Amino acid sequence: MSGHQDPVNEPNVFEKVVDFVDERVGLKTLQAKMLNEPVPGGSRWAYAFGSVLLFIFILQVVTGILLMFYYVPSTDHAYASTQYIIHEVDYGWFLLSYHFWGSSAMVVMVFAHMSQVFLWGAYKKPRELVWLVGLALFGIVMGFGFTGYLLPWDQRAFWATVVGVEIMDKTPLIGDFMARFLKGGPTPGQMTISRFFVIHVMVLPAALMGLAGLHIFLFRKAGPAGPFRGTPEELKAKTDYFFPRQIWKDIVAMASVFLIICSLAFIEPVVLLEEATPDPGDYHPEPEWYFLFLFQLLRLKIFGGELGQFLGSIALPGAFMALLAVLPFIDTSPERNIFKRPASLIGWILVMLMILVFTVSAIINRDFLD
Amino acid sequence: MSNVKLGLLVFWPTFWTGFPIKMVIVFLLLTAHIHPWEGTGLAALLLLSIPIDIWALGLCARTVLLERLSVEPSKGMGLRLWAQWAVFSVVYLPMLVFVMGGTKALAISATEATVHFVEESFMVIPVAEKITLELLMWTTPTTIVLIALLAGWMFGLGTLTQRVVRASTPVSGSFQDMVYKWDALRIPKDQPLFLTAFTGVGVVLVVLFWGLLPVSTPHPHEDYEFIDVKKVERKIVPKDVIKSAEKVLARAEATIKELEKENPTGDKTKDEKTPAAKEEPKPSPK
Repeated sequence: MSGHQDPVNEPNVFEKVVDFVDERVGLKTLQAKMLNEPVPGGSRWAYAFGSVLLFIFILQVVTGILLMFYYVPSTDHAYASTQYIIHEVDYGWFLLSYHFWGSSAMVVMVFAHMSQVFLWGAYKKPRELVWLVGLALFGIVMGFGFTGYLLPWDQRAFWATVVGVEIMDKTPLIGDFMARFLKGGPTPGQMTISRFFVIHVMVLPAALMGLAGLHIFLFRKAGPAGPFRGTPEELKAKTDYFFPRQIWKDIVAMASVFLIICSLAFIEPVVLLEEATPDPGDYHPEPEWYFLFLFQLLRLKIFGGELGQFLGSIALPGAFMALLAVLPFIDTSPERNIFKRPASLIGWILVMLMILVFTVSAIINRDFLD
Repeated sequence: MSNVKLGLLVFWPTFWTGFPIKMVIVFLLLTAHIHPWEGTGLAALLLLSIPIDIWALGLCARTVLLERLSVEPSKGMGLRLWAQWAVFSVVYLPMLVFVMGGTKALAISATEATVHFVEESFMVIPVAEKITLELLMWTTPTTIVLIALLAGWMFGLGTLTQRVVRASTPVSGSFQDMVYKWDALRIPKDQPLFLTAFTGVGVVLVVLFWGLLPVSTPHPHEDYEFIDVKKVERKIVPKDVIKSAEKVLARAEATIKELEKENPTGDKTKDEKTPAAKEEPKPSPK
């Protein structure tokens, strides 16, 4: 019979809705672009760091918004409102502790991601811009940690900021301006908390979203680098699309990181110290744990005095960051195998050992202060 | 392939394959206020880890054997290899811990003696330098011994795995065929069933999580208790409000009438002031 349609082939309501949206926004093209990216050499756990970073950031935004419902960014109420979140708000202690540990996880994951890109030689041509934007994102993540640390307004928060701003103050030309701009007065106060809050919840998230988008765009434009060893036959045999295997690995990695952050929130939840005062009392000021190595480094005699402090706090870290920025332009060899790049491998090991040794030294140093 | 490399190639992915599932167990134990690193929690975690490890080891070892050594192991390899690894590790790991404890104690005492000798004989080392120097002095030999012992452990695991390799049958075919083969190990035969079960487990875990999660902090501050000064809430009963308002109005009316009786003409002398006017604010002290 003419005009008869087989009911099995008729689209259901869901398919009709998808078709409707697809016709207007090109959903299927977008989906194909997102999921059908070829991954040279197949999916790997080592490629999950970037996706995990994005996942942590999204959850930081969600928990941050929930915390903002209760937090008051003023010197009179910041401490009390944080206390209120911990003790009175339903699940507030968990949200705050998750947000706190999430920020540390983000720093760890940035280090892991950058290390993976460095060791894989994935910063080399044609991925120089991906690397440069990644470095800028690294700076933003550090900025998040620095500005967020002040907000609970307890002694730890106050003095970590004092130490951080003092280090910033040593930068030539712009240091004094930066320190005065951030503090808004001789000591951290209402102006500081207002500025840090605005930077933390508005400026940095906007910057991170824009740069992360650019980072992903540039990465997709250049394509994944793939493994640094293996014959062309092996690589071709293992090459796969982004969906489903890499997505599956990313999901498992995200779930694992989520569970680790949740567990840390349980094992070591945020506990406030005394409310911030310009008198440190018995408290020994120190920055966040990921700046501890630098803090300990500055205690060495070699970095004593004005010049030494400048060298240790600004010149050396600045030179290191500059070296990272120009790395793709000075290391132009196409060799990506890290075992055939001994200088890079030794350099990476030394930097990691230096960070580890001086961080542990700073923790041991606490006993000598007491 | 060396035994150390083979051991590491199988152990590393096995550890990470089981890790996320074990993390779920750890987290659920934590939400239920059971520490997974002691007593019942540790026993539960270790017990539940056995089937996870058997599965993960079977999957990862089979993949390594196919990909790197082009051999197909017999069925049930996961359980057999796990049992052998477990017996070896039960003997080896306590020995590793014992040797490491001794090495660490020896290295620390030797470091302290050396630094003490230097300070007595030559110069006083500043605190920050001394901390880092001591740390490097005792961790360097300890780390070398630890790496050597871990390599020994991997050698043992690799030796046990080599026995499985020898008992396996070689696989013919192209590299592409082998890739398909180990890839197929990871893909469930009934995918909709797998996805449904996965989603179902996810939903159960989320419900368990929110059900077990304490509403307010289980970790109050050590030094002080949070005191929330709540305002005393007054209950407003409209009838009572109207009654009290009527009383106030009646009192005001009576007062006005009394005032009118006292001064019917409404004249005010300089000395006589209304009660309200009498309550002038006092000048503030300077």
